[in-house]
Amino acid sequence: MPPAASVEPLQAALVISAAVAEPAADVTAAPVALVLPADCRIAAQVALKQALMEALETDAIVLDGRAVERADTAALQLLTLFQREVKARGSCLSWCGASDALNEAAGLLGLTQILELPAAALA
Amino acid sequence: MSAVDLSQFHKTFFDESREGLDAMEAALLALDAGSADTELVHTIFRAAHSIKGGAATFGFTDVAAFTHVAESLLEEVRSGRRPVDAELTELLLRSVDCLRVMLDRSSSGQPVVDAASEDLRAELVRLVSGATAAVATPVTSAAANVTGWEIVFTALPHLLQTGNDPLRLFRELQQLGRLEVVRAFIVDAAPERLAEVDPTACYLGWVLHLHGNVARADVDAVFDWLDGDCELVIHPLAEPPVATVAGVLAAAEGSPSPLPLPLQRRRATDTAAGSKPESAAVSVEGSSIRVGIDKIDALINMMGELVITQSMLSEIGETFQPSQLTRLREGLVQLERNTRELQESVMRIRMLPIGSIFNRFPRLVHDLERKLGKRVKLELHGEHTELDKTVLEKIGDPLVHLVRNAIDHGLESPERRRAAGKSETGTLRLDAYHEGSNIVVQISDDGAGLNREAIIAKALHSGLINASQELGDADVAELIFQPGFSTAAAATDLSGRGVGMDVVRRNVRDLGGSVGVRSVSGKGSTFTIALPLTLAIIDGLVTAVGDERYIVPLISIVESLRLRSDSVRRIAGGGEVFHFRDAYLPILRLHQAFACADAVTDIERGIVVVVEEDGRRVGLLVDDLLGQQQAVVKSLEAHYRRVQGVSGATILSDGSVALIVDVGGVVRLGRPCKAA
Amino acid sequence: MRGMVAFTLRGAGHAVTEAENGLLALDVARGGAFDLVLADVNMPVMDGISMVRELRAMDAYRGVPILMLTTESHTEKKMEGKAAGATGWLVKPFDPEQLLATVKRVLG
Repeated sequence: MPPAASVEPLQAALVISAAVAEPAADVTAAPVALVLPADCRIAAQVALKQALMEALETDAIVLDGRAVERADTAALQLLTLFQREVKARGSCLSWCGASDALNEAAGLLGLTQILELPAAALA
Repeated sequence: MSAVDLSQFHKTFFDESREGLDAMEAALLALDAGSADTELVHTIFRAAHSIKGGAATFGFTDVAAFTHVAESLLEEVRSGRRPVDAELTELLLRSVDCLRVMLDRSSSGQPVVDAASEDLRAELVRLVSGATAAVATPVTSAAANVTGWEIVFTALPHLLQTGNDPLRLFRELQQLGRLEVVRAFIVDAAPERLAEVDPTACYLGWVLHLHGNVARADVDAVFDWLDGDCELVIHPLAEPPVATVAGVLAAAEGSPSPLPLPLQRRRATDTAAGSKPESAAVSVEGSSIRVGIDKIDALINMMGELVITQSMLSEIGETFQPSQLTRLREGLVQLERNTRELQESVMRIRMLPIGSIFNRFPRLVHDLERKLGKRVKLELHGEHTELDKTVLEKIGDPLVHLVRNAIDHGLESPERRRAAGKSETGTLRLDAYHEGSNIVVQISDDGAGLNREAIIAKALHSGLINASQELGDADVAELIFQPGFSTAAAATDLSGRGVGMDVVRRNVRDLGGSVGVRSVSGKGSTFTIALPLTLAIIDGLVTAVGDERYIVPLISIVESLRLRSDSVRRIAGGGEVFHFRDAYLPILRLHQAFACADAVTDIERGIVVVVEEDGRRVGLLVDDLLGQQQAVVKSLEAHYRRVQGVSGATILSDGSVALIVDVGGVVRLGRPCKAA
Repeated sequence: MRGMVAFTLRGAGHAVTEAENGLLALDVARGGAFDLVLADVNMPVMDGISMVRELRAMDAYRGVPILMLTTESHTEKKMEGKAAGATGWLVKPFDPEQLLATVKRVLG
């Protein structure tokens, strides 16, 4: 993480539902992926939760974590609680990729397995 | 490993735990005195930790569970998260008391937990920040090697809103050592449904293992901003415990419900934590003694010499010729020396430092200070002075009484001390030292001294003296030791226990000792107890009665004198009395009492030894005084039978047997006559 | 004080924006995204503790580390700051090494 401090602009706080809004650029049958924002930290979680709530209503849920540059405990926690509910509903969560940043944070917090995150290399 | 019978180590565990509790208590009292010494805190923590580890290992789950909570509390103190205040020390002192009781019960196989201990445990749990008890953490055995730390870290909901992201904390921990996230968990308080989740609140907890040689302080530093934002339990990480122990540990960790014995809950006011355990122990462990290795070494050395002497003598014996007489004598002299040294060494094994008794007093003084609103500085001197184990065990209560008495009656309140121009804090000094063949224990205070008027008034009231009697200071002081005299003028709940100074004196006398008091009005009092070095050896005066030798314990002798026949009066009933220091004392002719032949019957030719017991005096008529001698007391009962007026026998230097006069018994033979 | 802190941080390669008091700082904070806020407890117009409270109420600053500059003796201030949502403390008198170490610790 860059030690440089301040006036860095908020990187893409609300890219959240890009994928949801523009349904499936390519294949029609392919499930819609929810793209996690680059700055996936506490300030983005209210919006992310909203998006996840909507995603819950679909059968096959795909998360795209490839764009995530910064993630914090709030994000990983929300995903964990989301995953728990997905399981409880008998649905299935899959990833179409996760960035190094996301994987590192999940690993450090011991949540990689619960989240069933793919290795970053596969992304 | 599970096949090892752990019970063989139980006794050691109990001994060491009690020592640990003593150390805890001493350190707590030192802390209370205002020193914020971190070393003291560490001492307390270590003691608690060892007890917990041992208790868990040996399956004393209740003790382990109790100590665990106390340890958690201490942990907070140690890491600086909780300040030391009077309330905390008080609570911990009560925990020490409670643990003593629990250990006693464990060792005698009684149910360990009662309402009082559970209440205290609940109090501790409440104090420990957060519900740490709810977190399942394995207790680590104290004996195992610490290879890092187990950190159970449970976020409180607002944690993330303080900017303290666990990710950052974990990264910091990674800098210290290898961090292993054993488990991440969602707290029970988390909403079931995503819809209800506050995405900025934290619902997670972690069990972390930080491997490596990491200082505890460094671990604490990582969390130093999180006070009140999380629940944190940090334990040393140990080598994996043995399977059986692990099972026990799990049980110890849980609530007190899985008790092996049916738990009898008693709501009794007198079973408050700290009160004595119900005395009737189911099984009494054999009394044991801890002996310094140097004493054992000395014994072994002496045994070696004895063996050499023995082989030398037997060699002479096999081929004895008259020319070897000198060598034989030399050998016998050597044997005698060996035997004597061996005897002394064996006796020394029974000698224990009086410090083990003195160590009780800081606590007692602390409690009394609070109770009586007095301020006392306790000084202990000569803790290393050694006493016979039996004497030591029996001198405890009299000393406790004297200390209570000194604080209760001797030392004045801070206000009165200030008014008298003294410092507000009174000084109570305990000394122990050798003096000749005696051990002297002194209890001195710088209080008001004996209240002469009050004592005289009290003595008049109880009929111990009459108004016409002229009393010197020594006589007045003597009054407080009289049976029937109680300092009840201001009977507080401390001294009004029906135990008076007469009981103290009797107990000391039973040990062959004496007790006296010196007092200066306004300056303080000094009680002096003189005890024989060991019970088995007395200083005696060897007297001749006919062909027999009788030994009179020196401690009982007031004076020896030759009487003129005209100073002896005959009284009705055939008794003889003589005038001695303003009183008439009965004369007891030892030759009559013990039916000795050929004894001196003419009083003018014999010697009268005035002896005293319990304030009663009689004159013993003997033929002659032969000298003073230390005598090793042999029990007559063990070898023959009990004989009235004789407390034992000893062997004199010429090999003959002498009987030791039981002064108490003999005095009772004489007519009662009260000494002034 | 502020000058020294800013100077030290810039010297270590951080981009720093300064504000004279709590109220001005809130404006600056709204105008940009900062990774760290350093606030003196004692500031004119709006003190540090009120500022922390305001910042924490802003979505963008929910989880941003905020360090308070206090003196060691001000334990009650620490508690207040903590209740308002401060992340941690920097203890005065000013020590450049300690400052950089703490900032590094917070920013990871």
